[in-house]
Amino acid sequence: MAGEKQGTLLSRLTTVDRRVIYLLMTLVVAWPMFKLVTLPVLISKEVAGFDREIEALTAGDHVIFAFDYEPDVMAELDPMSRAVMDRLFEKDVEVVALTLYPGGAGIAQPVLESAAREHNKVYGEDYVFLGYNPDWSGTMLRLGESIKATYPADQFGRDTRTMPILADCDSYKDVKLLVSICGSQLTEYWAALAGGRYGQKIVSGNTAVQAVFIYPFYQSGQIKGFLGGLKGAAEYETAIERPAFGVRGMGSQTMGHLLILLFVVIGNLGYLAARRAGTGGSGGVTGGGGRA
Amino acid sequence: MSHDPSVWVTALLTLAIFSFLWRENPVFRFAEHLLVGVSAGYYVVQYFYSGIVKKLIVPVRQDPGTNWPLIFGGALGILMFARLFRRLSWAARYPVAFYVSSAAGYFIPSVLEANVLKQIGGTVTAPGTAMAAGTLPVVSSALLVLGVIAVLVYFFFSVEHRGPVGSLSRVGILYLMVGFGASFGYTVMGRITLLLGRFQFLLGDWLGLI
Amino acid sequence: MLERTLPILLATVAGLFMAAQFFIPHPAMLRIYNLALDWKQIVFGCTLMLGVVSLIRFHWRKVARRAPGAFYSGVALVSCLATIGTAFFGIETGLYPWLYDRVQAPMQATLFALLAYFVASASYRAFRARSVHATLLLAAGAVVMLGRVPIGDLIGFDAGGERWSLGSLASWILDVPSLAAKRGILIGVGLGMISTSIRIILGIERAYLGQSSGEGQGRS
Repeated sequence: MAGEKQGTLLSRLTTVDRRVIYLLMTLVVAWPMFKLVTLPVLISKEVAGFDREIEALTAGDHVIFAFDYEPDVMAELDPMSRAVMDRLFEKDVEVVALTLYPGGAGIAQPVLESAAREHNKVYGEDYVFLGYNPDWSGTMLRLGESIKATYPADQFGRDTRTMPILADCDSYKDVKLLVSICGSQLTEYWAALAGGRYGQKIVSGNTAVQAVFIYPFYQSGQIKGFLGGLKGAAEYETAIERPAFGVRGMGSQTMGHLLILLFVVIGNLGYLAARRAGTGGSGGVTGGGGRA
Repeated sequence: MSHDPSVWVTALLTLAIFSFLWRENPVFRFAEHLLVGVSAGYYVVQYFYSGIVKKLIVPVRQDPGTNWPLIFGGALGILMFARLFRRLSWAARYPVAFYVSSAAGYFIPSVLEANVLKQIGGTVTAPGTAMAAGTLPVVSSALLVLGVIAVLVYFFFSVEHRGPVGSLSRVGILYLMVGFGASFGYTVMGRITLLLGRFQFLLGDWLGLI
Repeated sequence: MLERTLPILLATVAGLFMAAQFFIPHPAMLRIYNLALDWKQIVFGCTLMLGVVSLIRFHWRKVARRAPGAFYSGVALVSCLATIGTAFFGIETGLYPWLYDRVQAPMQATLFALLAYFVASASYRAFRARSVHATLLLAAGAVVMLGRVPIGDLIGFDAGGERWSLGSLASWILDVPSLAAKRGILIGVGLGMISTSIRIILGIERAYLGQSSGEGQGRS
């Protein structure tokens, strides 16, 4: 009888209104933002590799910084972009920024401008924003021949031939490192086109969804280091001793993961209970590809 | 709480999108279509400015003697708009054929090197580089080599998956399941971060509570 | 001839050239290669503009016919044309960047933030360990989820001078079995891309040209 009651309760748990799930999700993720708990962040080898390449740069080196993302994944990638840009300007590295997404221009400008203001950098001399170019693969290849021909004008219409920062930097040969902060597969194509054909050294920052696909490129040496998701941003902020949104977000991230795991466990317990009671259980996805 | 009207506009539009969680409603549909319209307008300006102004008009004006052949590229681009007229839509095949095929051309050597040869190289050199690091790295690299081969065998459908091939293919499925599980874990991580970003705005920039 | 044969011939010549120039760094080849890349970027810009023009046409027809949802199509149309109009007053400052910063970017971010809720709902209602494979997938997912947050590094023990934690297990999963799976997929996709590219260049694959009456994909 008691077992039956428990079975019924568990199997009823699987039919809870989705809006209750949404409310729980909201509360659990928002709560750590009020009661901030800083958790220790250990640095993984991929982030250590990324940090190593950035630290190897010296004053006057040129870096291509590709803001290859749009507002949809801004929350994951902006923390990385800001941390890396700060570090590059701190080291007096000259930054040639561009984007392969039309919505990337609005993302890149605030990051560049705030970092430039903090480090007293002059546009055209210490950094330049070349803007968006259509045809991402053509752009990746064209940069290997001539940056100024790929971008005859910058994002603001200024002639790139007259810019001091590009006077001695016109192709990958003059660029020490390419940093791709990317919300899609473009990092893999940077590795194939810029890295494969022109031997350009590449590090990347990727969304969590994409980061899983970067491991093969990292292991084979095509990418020297990468930051994966908000955890990657938090690790890099820790490495450069400048905790910001990445580190602050780890509390909410942790709580969110624990909640999802709890949902999976409760959902499966309910499913098992329903199966034992002979009512079949609700929905279900198998590893081989049932309905999600 | 913010007194900036811009922040309030953003906050209300954010809440309009979040209202979908309750159920589909006219406020959400209005916000959705506003997003479609503003995005389309923003993007078309970017496409025109970067594709036509920066890549055609500016270089031809900068150096007409060297850059005049770009005009033919412009003509090819204009042919694309023939798709809007049924009788003339065949003309759009020229720019499409040029674009698709030239990309296919340079992808062949690049993808062969990056996605095939370098990946195979990384796999076969893994046991070698692991030898100096100890037992666990050697076992891991052996498992890596086994996994890559097993997954490739699973996707090879020209041979029936029976006997040793079938066994190896089943090992490949196990590796794929672990891989998909890892992707699922990372996907959850990514989605929660996106939510975090919006909460940061609503609770911080708008309501000033954090 | 004009409608079919010449475009396919153009495709073959362009594709063969772009593949060959990878191996022939002659200055003349490089000049043509650079020109071809510049043309490609202009064509791509026009293609993307065509997409937006088609979108405007779709919504305009809905409004003109007073079809269901015409009001929302009107909203999309007006906001699109208004955004284009603001660009005439400058794209660096003014209403154009404001619309991006205050309307487009936040709404786009929020739309994707909804996915967190859907993942939670799917995890609760649909993710079932119904088989060995599903259990393996779930287990790997759970380890990675816990291991890739700071708490994962705290759950573990020290042995043999090393830290053995959920975090290190998650790293091992990503470095070995997951990497093997992704690499296998990568190689497969790469080979598929190469074979499709060869078919396009040789004119065997013609779906990208679209269809006209009586025509279909080329037969191999």
